[in-house]
Amino acid sequence: MIYALIAFGYSLTFSTSRTINFSLGNLLMLGGVVGFSLAVDMASGQSLGRPFLVPLIGVLIAGTLAGSLVYKTAVQPSLRTKTDFTWVLATLAFGIILKNAVEQIWSTGDFRLPSPLGDSVVHLGSIGFYPQEVLIIIVSLLLMTAVELIRSKTIWGKAVQAVSEDPATASLMGINPQGVVHLAYILSAVIAAIGGLLIAPLTFVSASMGTAIGIKAYAAAIIGGLESGLGIVVGGLILGLGEVFTARYLSTGYKDTPGFVLLILIILVRPSGLFGRTKAKKV
Amino acid sequence: MNPKVFGVPTKIWKILFLALPMVLPVVVSNQYYVHGILGRILVYTILVASLDVVVGYIGDISIGHAALFAIGAYTTAILTADPRINQGATMLYLPQLPFFIALAAGTLLAAGAGLVLGFPSLRASGPYLAVSTIACGLIIQTIINEQETITNGTKGIHLTPLQLGGVSLDGNQFIWLVYPILVLVILAKNELGRSFWGRAFEAIKHSTLAAEASGISRTKYKISAFVLSSGLAGLAGGLFTQLDHYIAANTFTLEFSILALMALIFGGVRSSFGNFLGMAMVVILPDLFTAFKDYRLLVFGCLLLLTLFFLPNGVAGLFSLLVKKGIRRWLPSLTATPKLLNTSTLSAAELRSWLVPTGVASQAPLLSLRGVGKRFGGLQAVDDLTMDLRAGVIHGLMGPNGSGKSTTVNLISGVYEASAGSLIWNLGTKSIANWATFRRSQLGIARTFQNLQLFGELTVLENVLVGFHSSFRSSLIQVLLRTPAVRKQEQQFRMQALSLLQMFGLAELAEHSASSLAYGQARRLEIARALASRPRLLLLDEPAAGLTSGEIEEFNQIFLRIKDYGIGILLIEHHMDMLMKISDEITVLDFGKVIATGAPELIQKNPRVIAAYLGSEAGEL
Repeated sequence: MIYALIAFGYSLTFSTSRTINFSLGNLLMLGGVVGFSLAVDMASGQSLGRPFLVPLIGVLIAGTLAGSLVYKTAVQPSLRTKTDFTWVLATLAFGIILKNAVEQIWSTGDFRLPSPLGDSVVHLGSIGFYPQEVLIIIVSLLLMTAVELIRSKTIWGKAVQAVSEDPATASLMGINPQGVVHLAYILSAVIAAIGGLLIAPLTFVSASMGTAIGIKAYAAAIIGGLESGLGIVVGGLILGLGEVFTARYLSTGYKDTPGFVLLILIILVRPSGLFGRTKAKKV
Repeated sequence: MNPKVFGVPTKIWKILFLALPMVLPVVVSNQYYVHGILGRILVYTILVASLDVVVGYIGDISIGHAALFAIGAYTTAILTADPRINQGATMLYLPQLPFFIALAAGTLLAAGAGLVLGFPSLRASGPYLAVSTIACGLIIQTIINEQETITNGTKGIHLTPLQLGGVSLDGNQFIWLVYPILVLVILAKNELGRSFWGRAFEAIKHSTLAAEASGISRTKYKISAFVLSSGLAGLAGGLFTQLDHYIAANTFTLEFSILALMALIFGGVRSSFGNFLGMAMVVILPDLFTAFKDYRLLVFGCLLLLTLFFLPNGVAGLFSLLVKKGIRRWLPSLTATPKLLNTSTLSAAELRSWLVPTGVASQAPLLSLRGVGKRFGGLQAVDDLTMDLRAGVIHGLMGPNGSGKSTTVNLISGVYEASAGSLIWNLGTKSIANWATFRRSQLGIARTFQNLQLFGELTVLENVLVGFHSSFRSSLIQVLLRTPAVRKQEQQFRMQALSLLQMFGLAELAEHSASSLAYGQARRLEIARALASRPRLLLLDEPAAGLTSGEIEEFNQIFLRIKDYGIGILLIEHHMDMLMKISDEITVLDFGKVIATGAPELIQKNPRVIAAYLGSEAGEL
């Protein structure tokens, strides 16, 4: 589900500006790290006893600032240059900078963040799960539904749609296309940062926690279709389940492979994804 | 023609300069700088050069080259490793083959992987392709880590230093192995870049449509670029095994792929010097400032951002700009480039006989369309179109906006496949309804585009040379070696291309970049490029759109001349006076259907045509 959430972040920027924020994985890491620093004393590993709201607010602020920064330093200048893959490298570079900075300023180690809902396994019949996992699913669904609703029902959503279709015309209608893209970047960064805070209690908090998730979420987005809300959720589920089953029945070393193989197959057969629409190109 | 510096021809200087690093192992005994730093840079430069073939030439992005490097390295290592120094290894198969055989195997295997990697590039580009190369890279890395019986897993493989004719290529002498190979790779890459292969890559990068219309198969050249690039990466990997005599899986990470890509962008694409410089930066910088080692990715990231935004051609681009200025100032003798205009060109009669070989003119139509239709979802763009296009005839095609004129051109040139009906090419009677665009171009159907599709980064002359693509008859090997035949052919085509430019009044602009042309000149260049493929049938999609009346008159003369050569023309125009003046026959479309066909005078009076243009009431009047 976390894949679906991050994949949703990718689709947000893609649907407004045809660009993908490749540093989203590292923004997720930023969320985890900031949340951890505000909740736990690093040296002792003891909880600081603050209410969960403090790290949450911290993460929201960090996500907003970082998203804005990516846009200003990497994306906006890229969109001005002529070559069409500048932004790929620029956002990648931003992610690397972020990761390296966190490694140096914060730490290269792995840390545990206790879940606010407790870290013991809850059993429901024969299925055991962590309460945090339920929280992830609920929050992810809520976030995605909320953003989708704003997108489809409000005048703001219409503006976003307009920018995605044709930035020049949208701008003639009094919409600021750059502002919309900027907003999309901030929103996707905030989503990623929240994702980092959510996933942190299940994994370890470290500077490298976002790399793999970032790539896999991107794979999920492509498998499902970058522009399809339903596709992204399905893509995330396919990838997550594939991972679990491979790890259980084949080998943990190969757990990432089926998702990637599927990704390549999808790109070969249906580049717009399982639920994407293909557009006829006009000559 | 042979400029000299200090009395010695520059060619000799170049060779001496190129050979300089070969002396290093003899004069320098310090292992650290020559072997540790320079050796590493040289090996990695081959990798960056391989990446350049994909990124610089074809304009695709790959973040999986570390995996191809790994394939070359592991293949070479496994085939050459000595079991005695790999005690306790889990590998089952160690044949201990000679190094160069293993190296060749590694190169070939990586090239094979490139074939697989290339296919997604046909369907996807940009972010989609980037992620598929990442995925390929991670899959290969997983396999290397997990298949312990083949690769020794995370423990890596130890190797013995290579001996060649009694000389050890260990330590500093590693340069003797890697440097000549690097020079060969770079020379071959440069040859490729300036040949018709390089132009084909550039054409595909800039406008796939126009490239295909010039007879360039996108599939062939994209896959070739990936295979070549991957083979080179494999070669670099194979050589890498001799650098430290040890390889381990944790070298070939995603991060390494990104680092190579950074080096490429930083140094500058399509520049061998840039490839070297970029990699040198990546290797040397952390070494110069040890304190900076931990921050290296941060610094590289910032450098990459700065390069992307401020130095689009990388450091090498900046450098060559400065050097060019310097040469112009201090060594003006070197700037005396051969003047293109002095080369002899074809006379009008020669141009004509070159364009259209005599003795093939016949009265049968070149191309017959029978009941051709094209449907886009619910829209019937072209319906039941029947039309004959003949040699030496200008066939006008008119109709209101959205009547299906451009769709017709796209159907004939193969951009769209017809959903109904047949297209018969009568020279040899072939049904071409489901042929790809580039094959139709090779058959003799050329076209221009309503919205110009020039290759902006190429010069005017090179744009025309792209049109010659199908005429080149040399193999890839010949091109890489730059055989005399290749040189002669290139010279000959350049002369013919220049003659074509003369016909269009563009010869003085031959060396200028196509993007610098004025609008009317760009329109003429597109027609020249289309003619360069020596077509039998020329499709002109609104060639006079946006031109002044003086220019239109020039165009009329050009079209009449082309017609006079015996080439068939299908002319789409909104300029009625042009269409009525030079067309021999006109077909009028409305809502995808033919509403009238005939001589211009008859079309002008046809009530249905008038109705279509002015509304039905006007027609009834």
